[in-house]
Amino acid sequence: MRLLLLLLVSLLAACGNEQGEDSDTAGLRVYHHSSDGAPTSLDPVQAATLYANLIVVNAYDTLYSYKYLERPYALKPNLAAAMPEVSGDGLTYTIKLKRGVHFIDDPAFDGGKGREVTTADVVYSILRHFDPETRPQGAWLWQGRVAGLEEWKAAGPDYDRLPDGLEIVDDYTLRIHLLQPYPQLLYTLAMGYSGVVPREAVEAYGREFGLRPVGSGPFRVVRYDTEKLIFEPNLNWRWEPVDLAAEGFDPATQGFTGIEVLDGQRPPFVDRFEISFIKESAARWNSFTKGNEIQYAGVPVELVDRVLASKDPVSLAPEYEALYQVRSDIEAGFVYSAFNMDMEFGTDPDPQQNERNRALRCAMIKGFDWERRNDSFYVNLGKVFPGVIPPVVPEYDPDASVDSVTRDVAGARQLLAANGWTPETLPTMVYGTVGSVRSRQFYEQFRAWMMEIGFPREKIVLREFATFGDLNKRWRESQLPLISAGWGLDYPDAENTLQLFYGPNKAPGSNSSNYNNPEYDALFEQAAVMLPSPERTKIYRRMNQMVIDDCVAITGLSRTRISVWHREVLMYPDTSIVGGFFFPFVALQDEKGLRLAPEPTPEVN
Amino acid sequence: MELFSYSLRKLATGIPLIIGVTLVSFLLMVYFGPDKTFELVGKNPTQEQIDEIRAQLGYDQPMVVRYLDYLREIVTLDFGNSESTGERINALLARTIPVSIAVALPGFILGNLLGVGLGLLAAFYRGRWPDKMIMGSAAIGMSISFLIVIIAFQIILSSSYGLNLFPVRGWSVDSFGDYVSYVTVPTLATVFVALGYNTRFYRSVIVEETTRDHVRTARAFGVPSLQLYCKLILKNCLIPIITRIMFSIPFVVISGSLLIESYFGIPGIGKVTYDAIITGDQPILKAVVALTAIMLVVVQLLTDIMYRWVDPRVSLK
Repeated sequence: MRLLLLLLVSLLAACGNEQGEDSDTAGLRVYHHSSDGAPTSLDPVQAATLYANLIVVNAYDTLYSYKYLERPYALKPNLAAAMPEVSGDGLTYTIKLKRGVHFIDDPAFDGGKGREVTTADVVYSILRHFDPETRPQGAWLWQGRVAGLEEWKAAGPDYDRLPDGLEIVDDYTLRIHLLQPYPQLLYTLAMGYSGVVPREAVEAYGREFGLRPVGSGPFRVVRYDTEKLIFEPNLNWRWEPVDLAAEGFDPATQGFTGIEVLDGQRPPFVDRFEISFIKESAARWNSFTKGNEIQYAGVPVELVDRVLASKDPVSLAPEYEALYQVRSDIEAGFVYSAFNMDMEFGTDPDPQQNERNRALRCAMIKGFDWERRNDSFYVNLGKVFPGVIPPVVPEYDPDASVDSVTRDVAGARQLLAANGWTPETLPTMVYGTVGSVRSRQFYEQFRAWMMEIGFPREKIVLREFATFGDLNKRWRESQLPLISAGWGLDYPDAENTLQLFYGPNKAPGSNSSNYNNPEYDALFEQAAVMLPSPERTKIYRRMNQMVIDDCVAITGLSRTRISVWHREVLMYPDTSIVGGFFFPFVALQDEKGLRLAPEPTPEVN
Repeated sequence: MELFSYSLRKLATGIPLIIGVTLVSFLLMVYFGPDKTFELVGKNPTQEQIDEIRAQLGYDQPMVVRYLDYLREIVTLDFGNSESTGERINALLARTIPVSIAVALPGFILGNLLGVGLGLLAAFYRGRWPDKMIMGSAAIGMSISFLIVIIAFQIILSSSYGLNLFPVRGWSVDSFGDYVSYVTVPTLATVFVALGYNTRFYRSVIVEETTRDHVRTARAFGVPSLQLYCKLILKNCLIPIITRIMFSIPFVVISGSLLIESYFGIPGIGKVTYDAIITGDQPILKAVVALTAIMLVVVQLLTDIMYRWVDPRVSLK
């Protein structure tokens, strides 16, 4: 028995918190957030996922960020001192950095004190995307756009030798030289990928840098594992008084949150920010409703009817309304299914066969029932739209014809018959998906619709993959006829979704449909160098119509996310890739009102 | 000396077992496991970037070279870094295994102690209503999905819809009180399910023992029932009991419990292993497989020594 007790005591000592990070939080202002997935790395070069991006943009500074409340999304300077000076030809961007910004204290620095962030750090952070050793995921944002990056990589990454396109004018001035105008450049500098890292820390921690963020952002990570991440405010960060008007506050749509009381107040409003990674919706909801655990969650689909009193507009049932705030917003992205145009039903050199193939794809699109899909799986809260320009971007056309997303079984059957498609000649469609109950339900519904337009049952075949990596491999290797996917916007510009059908991006690139239309590509290249304008929007919409007319994809639907949070939390949460900058503004209140901290006393570096 | 030389021999004979287990597991990982490359590439990769990642993961190396690397890692106990997070595998194991043990140990001990106790009781009342009740309950425990048990316990004991006595999830242990608070519900869920299997097994072992001649003789001598069951029968049942308990240990220590850790938000090795399986993080899987195999060999040795301890007739040859 003594041995057992000894063992237990030793175990408790071993699994206690090394840094005491979870020790007594009494009196502290702690906000408990939750996320339905966990990041696998906090290194900005690997911030591809929503989960990683959300943490990275709060641990690291990016040159630009999105305004907290403004919709459509709008940029503002972050580490940059102002918006850039852009040359008349749009090829040179001069960006001034704020002075006196420091990395957090860390043993990687001389004397353990965080040093000042300079232009060299920004350049180093971008160059890491072109160093294979870092396993980068964001090179596509700048390759072929910023001068000299490919050559820099081809010569063997050497961080002491700079490419032509990234010029360090001085410690606080960066000049970016582009090969051609790139209007989305500033958006890329607001993404987690462009988080500014110190070279000393990367070299000190090597592969483990992704676990030990050393940034200059508003928060520092004090614990990170598979279940939880704990942030504490970086008191040396530039905590400026909240200016709600400058952040784009709209009292009509955002006033319900009660965040007006924050106007003019100086953050940070919390002493600790805990994020629990909870994939299981039942556990997340139990923890949320418990009262003293997580304070933010999504409403599980299976509980929507119980929790909501109304879906349009979204409101909570009375027993929940007294306790929680609710917000519904259309996701910055969409779901769709694209046809692999390299397959037998895709593009064909024979014009007649090409037309027959197009008719087949169009018939399948007509057979697809978006309304029912929305009702069955998205509690009828999703937004169905034609094409690939989702509602969240400014180029979305609310008046576009909805014919391509309206079910027409008779029309589909007629189209197949007119083009000589019979049950015998119809091709076998392999529906590839990651194995899960939900995926199988999607497949069964899809198969039923295809059978209604004339496909034999055995010609709609399910192929399940154990992991997303396996499915992604088949997409990248162009092995599947149908690509059913979701796309999260990297920036609020339709270029980000239109590039999914740009010929040169074909597999293994993001154009998994392998759509290759020279006219579309020419328009894409024409628009790619244009600043936002009615002309560019017109071109975008023309390209959108081409995707619809060529029947390249069954598209699309933007899901509506319903988030709920405890009433004592003052915030307007947005966890999308373009909306992850709300953390510094989160505040807590009790019965006495807003809980403010004493004036912070920043350390002098 | 006899014990020492036996131990050395036993450990030496475990080497082929370790090689066999690791080789089969490695082949399964390589040929049937997920391709990590496509977890690591970004949204818009080029073929060149894909090839670079494959080279970094060692996928371009011949199988033999990769397996020999694995053996070298086992010998040096250095499994490198996780391909997902970059964390050193040894640090990851040192961080997560104690947590998994701390979560699993109370349930493991209680599940076995109660299993033996109920097994004795059921055997004692064999064929009568207490036996039927215990075995009926055991069958119920075995029939309900572990997932359902976890969710039910979570709702009943932890949520605002139930008694609200314990945290729904989390692991912030700084004191024994914290530990009890976080471990109670996982332990009860584990015991509920384990009890069914354990009770059935221990009952059958004990019932078999009660039919032996020496038990009949002891009864004929008028040995009281309590003494008969607790001293004579239980002692003679220790060999299968020890076998069952000892061979469970590697899985308690290394594998953890995926469902418990996922639903209760516990950062243990079970969740890490599961994530490694579905994402193809081979360094973690290689370490877990190798350590489990090594521990099985050690447990085999300890089990033999314990046999000798409980039954002096057993010789270590």
